[in-house]
Amino acid sequence: MVYPAARLVQASLSQYSVTGLYQGWVGPRNYARLLQQEALATVVMNTVVWVAVIVAVTLLISLALAQLLDKRFPGRRLVRWALIVPWAASLIMTSKLFVWIYDYYFGILNPLLQSLGVLAHPVDWLGDDSTVMGAMIAVGVFVSLPFTSYVLLAGLQTIPVDVYEAARVDGASAWRTYRSVTLPLLRPALLVAAVLNIIYVFNSFPIVWTLNDRNPGFGHDTMITYMYKIAFKSSLRDVGLAAALGVVNVALILVAVVVYLRTVRWQEPEA
Amino acid sequence: MRRLMPAVLLSLAIALLATACDRGPGAKGGGVASIKVVIADYSKDNTGPFWRSLSETYTKQTGVKVDLQVIDWNSIDQQVTTMIQNNQPPDVLNLNSFSSYAKDGLLHSAEDVLSAKTRDDFLAAFARGGEYQGKLYGFPILSSARAFFYNKSLFAKASIAAPPKTWDEFVKAAQRIKALGKDSIGYALPLGPEEAQAEWSIWMWNNGGDWKSGGQWAIDSEKNLQTLKFLADLANKHKVTQVNPGKTNRTDGAFQLFKDGKVGMVMGFSPLAKQLDAESKVDYGVTEMPTNIGAAVTLGVEDYLMAFKKKGNQEAVTKFLDLYYQPENITRWITAEGFLPVTRSGLDQMRSNPKLQPYLDALPNAKLVPTTDPAWDKVKLDVQQNIGLAVQPGGNPKQVLDQLQKNATAAGGR
Repeated sequence: MVYPAARLVQASLSQYSVTGLYQGWVGPRNYARLLQQEALATVVMNTVVWVAVIVAVTLLISLALAQLLDKRFPGRRLVRWALIVPWAASLIMTSKLFVWIYDYYFGILNPLLQSLGVLAHPVDWLGDDSTVMGAMIAVGVFVSLPFTSYVLLAGLQTIPVDVYEAARVDGASAWRTYRSVTLPLLRPALLVAAVLNIIYVFNSFPIVWTLNDRNPGFGHDTMITYMYKIAFKSSLRDVGLAAALGVVNVALILVAVVVYLRTVRWQEPEA
Repeated sequence: MRRLMPAVLLSLAIALLATACDRGPGAKGGGVASIKVVIADYSKDNTGPFWRSLSETYTKQTGVKVDLQVIDWNSIDQQVTTMIQNNQPPDVLNLNSFSSYAKDGLLHSAEDVLSAKTRDDFLAAFARGGEYQGKLYGFPILSSARAFFYNKSLFAKASIAAPPKTWDEFVKAAQRIKALGKDSIGYALPLGPEEAQAEWSIWMWNNGGDWKSGGQWAIDSEKNLQTLKFLADLANKHKVTQVNPGKTNRTDGAFQLFKDGKVGMVMGFSPLAKQLDAESKVDYGVTEMPTNIGAAVTLGVEDYLMAFKKKGNQEAVTKFLDLYYQPENITRWITAEGFLPVTRSGLDQMRSNPKLQPYLDALPNAKLVPTTDPAWDKVKLDVQQNIGLAVQPGGNPKQVLDQLQKNATAAGGR
């Protein structure tokens, strides 16, 4: 990991021509230019929304799913397997599938919602500026659920049965038991799931890239797709500048990793 | 860790791009034992098989091995940039741009690697389109020309007698098709990032505008503003286009809708005709672009082969290019892919195909985008990323063109 990281830093301090030819050392100039990019504020805002909403919604749904999967019911094994599917499928294939589901003319989402009476008119989910981010976030949640649910399920199964018995003896209601017994004991698993998801979701490239490829400009890009566009798909066509953003991205991930490691250490005495 | 991987790989890729300066020249002295050939993937069925068989023939004839890489269009820019940064450029590269590479001094010129016979066989317009500072660096590999496609069944239903020749007729035809019902689209306008510069060029030229005037960028000209407003009106005032034309790509957007029979008119090219014929779902006609200036102009697209300067590779590269430009090889491949010739001998051979008639007729009057200017590589991306914004509701055509002009002028300065 050290060698590529050093290379990334080196690239961020260099200038390259459109073709990729090295043109010399420019010091921190790329970082200064990065701050001057008009799109940067929008992209950072998008990234915050993208990460925060996906992680929050994923955790909420996964809590419910984990609870469900922890109970015994006929067909549980089947449901458990089915939940893995979005995780096992390639992210690009999943994203392409959703492109067709969302399509204005050929997609199945519009007819479905119209026949249910939810929508009066079809919506161009991936073209309308007000729905693109929501549509992408939905896919992000969809592919994040399996991992998160299984982490929380594992967490649930580490909770000893006797604490529930104690709660029952004390006459606690189901909701009270969940809030006062399950959630506190699930906290280590929740923290692990949250921090890992923040890293995954922040780094996610295929979903935004595939669902947003029809949209001009940088209005719906995250810092990861923006980095790629700076390097290869925008008029900047500048690998040095992209590397500078890459360094910033890696630094943000490192912060998340440090938080994660401290979280793990913090929970050890409790476990 | 699956979801972490793309970003890590991306970061690594960019990191690896940085290794350019450290390594010495890649090749050893004397002749080379192998050459790296990078080809863009035009179609899964034809591109790989043709180049593999050509490489085998080449190795049999010369004993030089070929490291062939067929790369899809979405990632070829990225991969080639990486190769050059790693100081491992290909020996032969196929791409839709060349002048930035010529400007950086990376290329052999035609005199060094093409026989006089091959050089003389190029159609003049395409040879000119591969020149940088008076020398041929971008060798024409194949060409295509856009043509105007219309759905004959929809035209009959809307009682439109003939395809439109002028912009006024075009708007009327589009309105009549639109009036057929809520699922009918008059004209499919793809101004999303995939190929917006092509669609824009055709409309721009058919209103008498151009990319440049007297050697200077003229993107913000009065004529061009008029054209862009016309396109915005198609979407927002006449409402004869598909939904969100500024956010529709060509291949999976406009073409898909036309192939499905929903669309009255679209600008296509010969590979689209091939797909339509294969599906035989839509009864279509092909004709000249509607024009606002009397004589229809179309867009010709020329892709290139380039030979990179690497120590000792001149002879091996010359032999490889010579083999591709044998009339039977180049024409066999261009025909299989459904594209158009770039050589006189190829043009003579392909004239016999009546299906290609409309495109071959258009070819002599086709205009090319300014690929000979190294700034074009940036201007093209700028247009792709921004022009669609001008035709969205509330878009500002003047502001978009002014910004493009400003960026183009700045890109030329560097």
